[in-house]
Amino acid sequence: MSSETQKPGVRRREFLKVVGATGAAATAIGCSSERVEKLIPYFVSPDETVPGVSTYYATTCRECSAACGVIAETRDGRAIKLEGNPDHPLNRGALCARGQAALQGLYNPDRYRTPMIRRGGRLEKTTWDEALKVFGEKLAEARRNPVGVAFVNRHQSGGLGPLLTTWLTGMGMAPPITIDPDADHAAIAANREAYGFAWPRLEFSAARLIISFGADFLDGWGASVPQQLDFADARAKGIDAPRFVYVGARRSLTGLNADEWIDARPGSELILVQMLAGTATAEQAAQASGVSAARLTALQQEFAATQPAMVIAAGSGPNGLELCRAANALNRVRPSTGITSFEGSEPTSHLRALGQRMQGGQITMLMVHNVDPVYMLPRSSGFAAAMAKVPFKVSFSSIVDETSAMADLVLPDNHSLESWGDAQPLSGVVSLQQPVMDPVFDTRALADVLIQVSKSGAALTPLPDYRSLLISRFPGGAAGLAAALPRGIASGSLPQAVVGRPLPASVNANPGNGDFTLVVYHHPVLGFGDGANKPWLQELPDPVTKIAWQTVAEIHPATAKRLGVENGDHVLVETSAGKLSLPVFMYLGIRPDTVAVAAGRGHAESAGRYAKAGANAFDLLSYSEDRAGGIAYTATRARVTKDGTFSRLVTTEGSARQHGRGIAQAVVVTDLGTGATREAGGSEHAAEAAPQGSVSGANQERALGQKAAAGEHGAEAGEPEFPGDASHEFLPGLRSPTANDAQGELGGPELKSKEKGMYDPKHWSGMANRRWAMAIDLARCTGCSACVTACYAENNIPTVGADWQGSKFLPDRTGFGANITRSREMSWLRLERYFEGGEDGGSDFETRFVPMLCQHCGNAPCEPVCPVYATYHAPDGLNVQVYNRCVGTRYCSNNCPYKVRYFNWFGYGEPARAQYAFPEPLNWQLNPDVTVRGKGVMEKCTFCVQRIREAENRATLEHRGVEPDEFTVACAEACPSRAITFGDAADERWSVAKLVNDERAYHVFEELNTYTAVVYLKKVNHPSSSLVSAGSVPSAASTPGGH
Amino acid sequence: MTKQRKWFAIPGFLTLAAAAAILSAYAGASSTQGNSPVQPVPFPHPMHVQTLKMNCVYCHFSATKSPDPGLPAMSTCMGCHTVVGTTKPGVQKLASFANKKEPVPWVRIHKIPEYVHFPHMRHVNAGVSCQTCHGNVQNMAQVSQQNSLNMGWCVNCHVGRSNPPFKARYDCATCHY
Repeated sequence: MSSETQKPGVRRREFLKVVGATGAAATAIGCSSERVEKLIPYFVSPDETVPGVSTYYATTCRECSAACGVIAETRDGRAIKLEGNPDHPLNRGALCARGQAALQGLYNPDRYRTPMIRRGGRLEKTTWDEALKVFGEKLAEARRNPVGVAFVNRHQSGGLGPLLTTWLTGMGMAPPITIDPDADHAAIAANREAYGFAWPRLEFSAARLIISFGADFLDGWGASVPQQLDFADARAKGIDAPRFVYVGARRSLTGLNADEWIDARPGSELILVQMLAGTATAEQAAQASGVSAARLTALQQEFAATQPAMVIAAGSGPNGLELCRAANALNRVRPSTGITSFEGSEPTSHLRALGQRMQGGQITMLMVHNVDPVYMLPRSSGFAAAMAKVPFKVSFSSIVDETSAMADLVLPDNHSLESWGDAQPLSGVVSLQQPVMDPVFDTRALADVLIQVSKSGAALTPLPDYRSLLISRFPGGAAGLAAALPRGIASGSLPQAVVGRPLPASVNANPGNGDFTLVVYHHPVLGFGDGANKPWLQELPDPVTKIAWQTVAEIHPATAKRLGVENGDHVLVETSAGKLSLPVFMYLGIRPDTVAVAAGRGHAESAGRYAKAGANAFDLLSYSEDRAGGIAYTATRARVTKDGTFSRLVTTEGSARQHGRGIAQAVVVTDLGTGATREAGGSEHAAEAAPQGSVSGANQERALGQKAAAGEHGAEAGEPEFPGDASHEFLPGLRSPTANDAQGELGGPELKSKEKGMYDPKHWSGMANRRWAMAIDLARCTGCSACVTACYAENNIPTVGADWQGSKFLPDRTGFGANITRSREMSWLRLERYFEGGEDGGSDFETRFVPMLCQHCGNAPCEPVCPVYATYHAPDGLNVQVYNRCVGTRYCSNNCPYKVRYFNWFGYGEPARAQYAFPEPLNWQLNPDVTVRGKGVMEKCTFCVQRIREAENRATLEHRGVEPDEFTVACAEACPSRAITFGDAADERWSVAKLVNDERAYHVFEELNTYTAVVYLKKVNHPSSSLVSAGSVPSAASTPGGH
Repeated sequence: MTKQRKWFAIPGFLTLAAAAAILSAYAGASSTQGNSPVQPVPFPHPMHVQTLKMNCVYCHFSATKSPDPGLPAMSTCMGCHTVVGTTKPGVQKLASFANKKEPVPWVRIHKIPEYVHFPHMRHVNAGVSCQTCHGNVQNMAQVSQQNSLNMGWCVNCHVGRSNPPFKARYDCATCHY
């Protein structure tokens, strides 16, 4: 302070006095945030419902046509989690990401909450009485001109289709156009001709070689879950496993799981099939496909030498039908059964023909149920413009979408989880569907609406509703159904839908000109648009590109160089149908003359708050059909030019390469069983060390003795560098020997107390005898990411990519995915995707998927650095995060070498904050057994500790111990490949205890001595046998493990 | 210190000290101990438990099966009260809810934070009586929260300082997850 006049000093003094006094006064008043909470009991307690304990209902998933079985966990009348039904013969307990996300369709904030009617140009809420009255009047009017009425229905196996057909034909109207948005109609038509059914049950185990011509059987072509499980089982056969070759212009997720990729021009797949069949030469095929004759000759030889070979093809181009027919003729693994839930859908050409009739003014009334043709059909097809001409349009959609936004009357259907129904997934098997809770909103099942409306004329049934109708048809009636519902399946047959309408003549648009071929592909989780309104699916990074919330143009790195662009630079993709400015994503798995754009995003404003993220790839597609009536997605030529703008890629990928870190390791299949697997495929560091193979049991001396005796643990293993050095010595239960609160004996003489409390294996609780651990088999993991969505569902993980969730104070980045560009995604479990090889830009590269989650390290780097002891090591082996202690220092995340800790930068879990991730009623899905974390708290995988506690509590109530494999964690339960196994590694009765001893087992970053509880089993590669014997593929010991 | 500085610094320090003292009175875990709200229906535990000898679990039925002890459904109450005590004002108040087919909106008394998971069934089945934590509810005409239910109070028992001592886990992840 200067010695100036008194005035400035007095002002300052006064100011401080005032502030001080008011500050003290404010605190004296105190913060009393006592809210009065009410406890509302039931009026009548439902039977067998115990509050706080979940009730489980078996039903059928309707997210795609496969009709897998689902067990819905409900708590207090609300569905909170879906699991696969273990008794269902199709999915056998697994559930894909789309199935898990059905809950976000049920609780979507953009669902129709009441019927809507158009007045004055806008849709307004109305009551069911009024809506049904208007519907009845319009129907009566329409019956005078029945040929002017069209109904577009979503294909769904079961009795609903026939009921709808009976209703329509009873009024003299045409049967519904039955559309499956994900279906491959070329394949379906060819399958019907070759096998007699629409979709085969692919028998991968019977094949010695699988050749797929663009058939993405692991990510959306057909029934993904059973196909993935059957494929993983076939590949687990080691030396007897089939080799897998993928042919296509773009390497999809299925292609990344193949042993070899033939990057053929789109449309040339047919000549390649003909080459294998012997009706074309390798030179002709090379000319057409752009692949060298030498590689094609090798493929021919392999095909001839390795039989039986399974040949499958997807029809995505104009010659799709011919390709699928030729592939089926060449297929030597003929399927014996079909997946009957795919019977009954019609090709999209019927929709296009309907559009033409609407354009011609022939349709006076249009009804649409659960299909979105305005989005699904490219704008160039003219459907949307034609639909605007129909005088009266009714939508039964349960959620807002582009088609229902054009409707004059919306009679919202119940969600599939709120509905009765049935399905026929396999011959002789009926999958039952029942509501798992009361409808969330004021909606009614379509079948009930039809039954009610029909009563004024020719009644569909004298029974009051669809449930009664199902009961009347079920063998044994109500009692029989009640007995069958707990398992969710019954034996029997449902009347099959009849498909017989002749195909309209196909449309072949001019592909336009341009030096690129445009490939618009079915997104693995968003499909052709269905999944875009579910934040879990938008936030799930695409397994191939790792892009979320965004549409990118995928081009080859060499092409990018030629165009002068890098990741994020925009290119203008122009076709005869339209143009889009998209950020570039450089991808090795695409031909240099091809540009690929994923379908599914870029919906209109009318489709809700989540679906408008990204851009609509269908705007680029010039509408064209194959001869089976399906849309040709690869028939458009495009011009791609740099347009000078830039967007950050919304990606979770750090690097596509391992740079020698040894995170994803692999062995060659011929190494299995020879002992060479231990040294193979490691990082530069771990290559010298023997891996941390674990030994179950409680006797340390026995463990050390075994280690000395087992020679295959690495001849290089010399003396330990320090006591408990991970590479040389191992302790039972995957524990770290240096954590002295876990292993007092090795703690050193400076330990003041030998009291170990709960960490003593002899403690009465027995907690220290457990070591919760996990084994992840990289040979089975396909990268599908079902585990990620299951984890989001189970653990209340917030999505952060919506456009309102960014920073409010001085936002530096806005828009969809802004938080993700700041690395703020919250996924406790993520899929790392690493490429090996292909640095020259060629097609010969390998992909390794590594599910990465908290490793629950025995010697965790994150535990000692927390200043408030919010994270610590529990006696049963978990690395625990106590949310209420955490002050948000973030040192733990800083120290974690796996980077598996996630910080709540904003109040994603706090309803009062702007970034709240669960707008009503999405918060109904939240798991009450898991704390919802607020701002400033660190979180990470807990090994589903709530499930561990639940199992322990249940066992104690029943006066027993927890049985081996009695329960598992959410990710393991969902995985369609059965890649994840969880359990107690210190108890040899659990499956995981055997797996952690596998010859392929390794720990990521084991040279850091973190003693992880997560053990990975090395991926098994199947290089071509001719290459191995010719010596051009290195054998085990020097397989490059990540350079 | 200069003369002028002390007129600024001393009141400043005093204010800080006062604020610290006042704030520290609010420090420590908050609790609803002593909470005794008025309920919409004046349910008397002494009548039902002492006079009529009803067991706690007759109404709070899930205390042995679930983390949540449960509240009786209206049908449990009306099971008797459609005919019993219909002239009493409390029963009439109950009936007014039941006749409108509305459940009674009880005011919550015991509340622990949402980041703690307390399993009633583990405690009840281990032999911890309801009165241990909830006090002598059978004597309370209007139920009040007897104990703080703070973590320190809970952990006392878990580390074996209760009388008689219980064997309970005191690992953090037992309750905090």
